[in-house]
Amino acid sequence: MSLSATHPVLLVAVPLFFAALCPVVGMWKRAACFYWALAGVAVTGFLTWTLIGKVTASHALTYNVGGWRPPFGIQIRIDYLGVFMACTITGVSMLVLVYCHRYATHDLKPERIPYFYTLFLLIFLAMIGFSITGDIFNMFVFMEIFSITSYALVAITGQKAAVRAAFKYLLMGATSSLTILLAISFLYSVTGSLNMPDISARLGSMRSTYLPVAAVALAFFVVGFTVKAALFPLHGWLPDAHSMAPSPVSAILSALVIKMGVFGILRIFFTVFGRSFSGLSASWGTLLSVLSWVAAIAIVAGAALAVFQKDLKYMIAYSSVSHIGYILLGICMLSPRGMTGGFYNLLAHALGKACLFLVAGAFIYKLGVRRISDLKGLGRKMPVTAGAFALASLSIVGIPPSAGFVAKFYLVWGSLQKGQYAFVVFILLGSLLAAVYCFRVVYYLFFTASDGPAPGVDEVPVTMWAPCALLALGTLFFGLYSGLIIPSLQTAARLLLR
Amino acid sequence: MSFSRIVNNFNYVFSALLFLMGLYTVAVKPNLIKKLIGLNIMETSVFLLIVSLGMVGGGEAPIVEAGVKTANIVNPIPQALILTGIVVAVSTTAVALSLCIRIHQKYGTLEAGAILGREVDV
Repeated sequence: MSLSATHPVLLVAVPLFFAALCPVVGMWKRAACFYWALAGVAVTGFLTWTLIGKVTASHALTYNVGGWRPPFGIQIRIDYLGVFMACTITGVSMLVLVYCHRYATHDLKPERIPYFYTLFLLIFLAMIGFSITGDIFNMFVFMEIFSITSYALVAITGQKAAVRAAFKYLLMGATSSLTILLAISFLYSVTGSLNMPDISARLGSMRSTYLPVAAVALAFFVVGFTVKAALFPLHGWLPDAHSMAPSPVSAILSALVIKMGVFGILRIFFTVFGRSFSGLSASWGTLLSVLSWVAAIAIVAGAALAVFQKDLKYMIAYSSVSHIGYILLGICMLSPRGMTGGFYNLLAHALGKACLFLVAGAFIYKLGVRRISDLKGLGRKMPVTAGAFALASLSIVGIPPSAGFVAKFYLVWGSLQKGQYAFVVFILLGSLLAAVYCFRVVYYLFFTASDGPAPGVDEVPVTMWAPCALLALGTLFFGLYSGLIIPSLQTAARLLLR
Repeated sequence: MSFSRIVNNFNYVFSALLFLMGLYTVAVKPNLIKKLIGLNIMETSVFLLIVSLGMVGGGEAPIVEAGVKTANIVNPIPQALILTGIVVAVSTTAVALSLCIRIHQKYGTLEAGAILGREVDV
């Protein structure tokens, strides 16, 4: 067995190795944990990067864990979408990890630092595993790893409000995990399989008396994953958890973890059930139109709630609720254009939102302030971080030439193509509200006289401003050079819709 | 739906009842520990459902040797799933209980109303 044959599983195995040994490294030297975690993420990033060519050459790369043939064993199955997710996860995690170096020593008790990096590696590997697995129960296990890790990460500072937010998150998260497990068991009871393509094939030839069970399973999946994704009416846990967590953790949770819920819905809809699954042909239309309306309402509701926030991190968290709506709306359009818009917004929001949370963290690091009105005149004292905030805001709002604009352009194009003009109104209204909440902060940063902050305030250390700047430039880069990945995303959408 | 069908599938009926009991406890009971107990009841109900899926009346353990009729063995996969599920449930409960300890230290109570009602302080 050569190393290249085991390449797909290394994406999970390498960070798991690094995570398992991180506390040991911490016993030797606490300061070394950061470099250890950085090495783990970097090696995984390199492996992911070398995988891109292989996946585009063969459409899907498979690996049977332990040599068990599917449908009996766990199969790792990396398709276009999986590799796109893995690249987004490694890229954003890498930059956030660099930021953690100074932030963690500032915000955390020293004895917790090794555990912080261990949890960081665990959440990282679980998200990658979730994106690349082809086995539905394995997907559940990875989902539980990143869920439990994120409860712990939210509470890692031990602050009063953070612990409360973590518990609230845990109650919602654990309940939604159970609905997903229940759905898996229903699906297993009628198909007798856990491998996604195999379930899909077996559903096609299933006895019609089993149909209601499959339909109930689908309903449980949708409810469970929309809680994980914090879609509007089920978003109750998100604002507290994402704003009370330490800022790098907020960045990971908001940029990546809630996307996993959407990714789960994608997998269930397209890989497991398959749109062509005739048994539910009548219900599909209803389900998708209900979901797309909920998503459209989420866009406006999340943005409207963000406008009224006085706390910067709460504002950014509510903005995530709005953006999950965009992504889900794109997916529910079921056209290559709309789905491409959804996927592209996934990337644009991951970069932009990570940047916003990191900048919010930089303000907390320097000044300890969270209220938007306390940010007056900071743009002159912290030009790079404040500039990164402004640049990332352009992408969140969707102003050309940012990545957010490309995503919204495709979403609008997709809805026009479907003749659903109402969604265009919702998308544009969401952008308008985003402009209100983002540019209010930019206004305070750059266009008001400084009267609050102490005179000694200056720019944060380079390991903190550089990730913010790179993420912000990333939103610009993927706006200007959207041609680099749009064709692959269109292929991904076509392969899913097939 | 005849009565006998419900009686014959009592395992499904009981796991549904347990799931609803657990969900009710999580949603309604104000005490955080009671909420966790509810969560565990829900987990148990799902495990009960999955493990009973693999049950074969009068079946044998799935160890295939010479002389064992392969037609009458219990499905081992649900049991393996549940072992994993129990590990997951224990981890969730462990994290939740440690959060409870911290909440009790910070707020001096475990009643949801008293904790959620307070102003957010940073």
